Amino acid sequence: MATFTRANAWNNGGTFSNTDILWYAKAVGAMQARTLNATSSWWFFAAMHGQYVADNGFPGWGFLPAPPSVPTRPQPPGSVSGLYWDQCQHQSWYFLPWHRGYLLALEAQIRADVVNLGGPSTWALPYWNYFGPANQFNIPPAFTQKTLPDGSSNPLFVTARYGPDGDGNIYVPTPAGAQQHPNDPNLAPGIVTQQCMANDLYTGSDANTPPPGFGGPTTGFSHAGGTSGNVENNPHNLVHVYVGGNAPDGQTYGLMSDPGIAALDPIFYLHHANIDRMWAVWNLTPANTNPTDPAWLSGPAAAGGREFVMPKPDGSSSVYTPQQMNGLAQLNYTYDDLSQVIPAPPSGLVAVTERLTKLGATAAAKRIKEGVLVTTGKNTELVGATQEPIPIKSTGAQASVKLDTAARRKVSASLANASETALPDRVFLNLENVQGTHDAAELSVYINLPDGSRPSDHPELLAGTVGLFGLRSASLKDGKHAGQGLNFILDITKIVDALHLQNAFGADSLKVKLVPRRALPDQAKITIGRISIYREGN
Amino acid sequence: MIYDAQEFARVWKPVLLVSAAAWTLLLIEPSAIPLRGSCFASNACAAPPSRGMLLTMSPTSVGVSWTLMLVAMMAPVLIQPLYHIRLRSFARRRGRSIASFLAGYSVIWIALGAVLVPTEVAAKSFAGEGYLLVAGAILLAFVWQFSPIKQRCLNRCHAHPALAAFGTAADVSAFQFGITHGIWCAGSCWVLMLLPMVLVREHLAAMALVAALIFSERLEPPRRPCWAYRCVGKATRMVTAQARLRLFASSESWRH
Repeated sequence: MATFTRANAWNNGGTFSNTDILWYAKAVGAMQARTLNATSSWWFFAAMHGQYVADNGFPGWGFLPAPPSVPTRPQPPGSVSGLYWDQCQHQSWYFLPWHRGYLLALEAQIRADVVNLGGPSTWALPYWNYFGPANQFNIPPAFTQKTLPDGSSNPLFVTARYGPDGDGNIYVPTPAGAQQHPNDPNLAPGIVTQQCMANDLYTGSDANTPPPGFGGPTTGFSHAGGTSGNVENNPHNLVHVYVGGNAPDGQTYGLMSDPGIAALDPIFYLHHANIDRMWAVWNLTPANTNPTDPAWLSGPAAAGGREFVMPKPDGSSSVYTPQQMNGLAQLNYTYDDLSQVIPAPPSGLVAVTERLTKLGATAAAKRIKEGVLVTTGKNTELVGATQEPIPIKSTGAQASVKLDTAARRKVSASLANASETALPDRVFLNLENVQGTHDAAELSVYINLPDGSRPSDHPELLAGTVGLFGLRSASLKDGKHAGQGLNFILDITKIVDALHLQNAFGADSLKVKLVPRRALPDQAKITIGRISIYREGN
Repeated sequence: MIYDAQEFARVWKPVLLVSAAAWTLLLIEPSAIPLRGSCFASNACAAPPSRGMLLTMSPTSVGVSWTLMLVAMMAPVLIQPLYHIRLRSFARRRGRSIASFLAGYSVIWIALGAVLVPTEVAAKSFAGEGYLLVAGAILLAFVWQFSPIKQRCLNRCHAHPALAAFGTAADVSAFQFGITHGIWCAGSCWVLMLLPMVLVREHLAAMALVAALIFSERLEPPRRPCWAYRCVGKATRMVTAQARLRLFASSESWRH
């Protein structure tokens, strides 16, 4: 039996009647009263995720609207900041375990402060399940109050939290949330989903899992840039950029939108508690196992990279590895709700059988059902690409992805001749080298959307929605990723299957339309280096 | 699309093979090291090569030597950009794009060689006793190695841009990537490459040390350009971390 149970922040209506939130608020206040260089301060913890303490101009920490009033000094010695700061793991298979360790450290510090303030020693971090019933897509109301019940200022209230519509109304456009907040039909719905929970592979790809896998791609220490894993892309990144949102004047964006300022917002940790809960739920399905590769288990330090290290409330430090974050049972905490949010995915064989049937290979599908051994190929090959970089304007962009005739024919032949020993290709769209300075943006990607039609009328042509959380850091030339920006992989296999069945996959190009949920600010200046299409097959 | 160990092996194995072949040739024929000259064949000659001898070295032999040295030392650091090109090119064009990249990369290093080698010849001709030159080169190497501009060059070496995929544009794109990568690579390594050539003895050992340093510092992620100590930190950390892992099983608990 775990000692600590993290509960839904929406208990007791998500107000200060929920004592988990009330004590959280008081302890956040205690942490915010400390100086930047104190390892137990709110600011120090935020900097461990990522920081722009010394940056001149927004989003530099000295240029953020209060509250909170963010300090930029006194800075800790270089040896301390070098050890602790700028650790967050993104676009990496370390994304989930690093953040689990980070949450545990924050929770331990908050609990110590809760106890000091006279609160319960069993306090645990609440989570915000925006996929929950009723209106739980809304931020728990306690975070929007300017004062605590005793009349003092509420440390959970943040000025730079603008929401998906840039008006301070904070909600997540889940299917339920979007239904209650109708969007311009000429733009994209940009829905936040739990589709990643249907994946059954942590790293890699299979019939149920688009690359780079549920948990992210194989990397070393990865602080900024690269390709997001599936749970990281949607819902994680999208929730960040929707909750942060753009300021009404369009000049700046909310704290949650950018990893260098995100952890200054107290809602950050409740969002990540929910992502951590989703990982735990995902692991409950026996087939959904975490990597067993020593490189994952031992973490990047085993390959000469930085260690994952957190301060403890007593001021000492604790180094951890992904292996130590492998499951809740070994960590003495749990969640009050670990129920499956969507039905467990079909086995890979069932998914393949269904696809073969749709493609007309019914005999092959039948033989698979009868237990004929399936061989799978993993050759990955470029099929087509845009010729020029694509600038994103306020209402998005459109691009033509030219297809290589020989490679396209390979895909067509694979779909036409699919069998139990030659499975049909899977097809993926890549957004490569996405660069810019404005993280608070999301783009829905449509394939062959008819001219003049509304994106919301064609969900069957939606490849996916991406949030550009981390764009600025990933685009800095002297940043950790050499300014190469972000990459996204979207599974378009179903769309290509449909085109093939309509004899419409014989064209020289595919039309790709990128549409935001809300018009992007003029100064966003986002560019996609290349849009490409890959096949994965025999 | 993303890292795949099997695909990666299709790049690093042949690249390391080529590098090993170049090292083998240098071991078999040490006089192939640029400007080393036959005088040093025994590693015991203390006198610098004479001006007359240097001037009589044919440009072809110097060019071959320079190329051999480059292939041996620099091929391993090209694994990442070559892998990037392989991933981002049509299957049938992979070889062509890699060749275009290497052509661009070579242009920069050949141009640098065309400046460095004659400069070296001139310096050796006029500096008299070789140790003064060695001291000067080491001092220059230290200053450059720890400078912000060195870090800027190292950072840019990690840049893997979007590449054109079709026709001549793909060739040009890969060639430009080669040029750009070559500029930052040469900017990062030029003075280190100079060191083995100016040494009075132990050229091959110096080349091996410099190659290890270049490879190791390329493993480090980009960071803010500033004056800083840069050596074989990453490689050392890799070795010690692996040794620690094998010697001590992790036993730390992360319970509350």
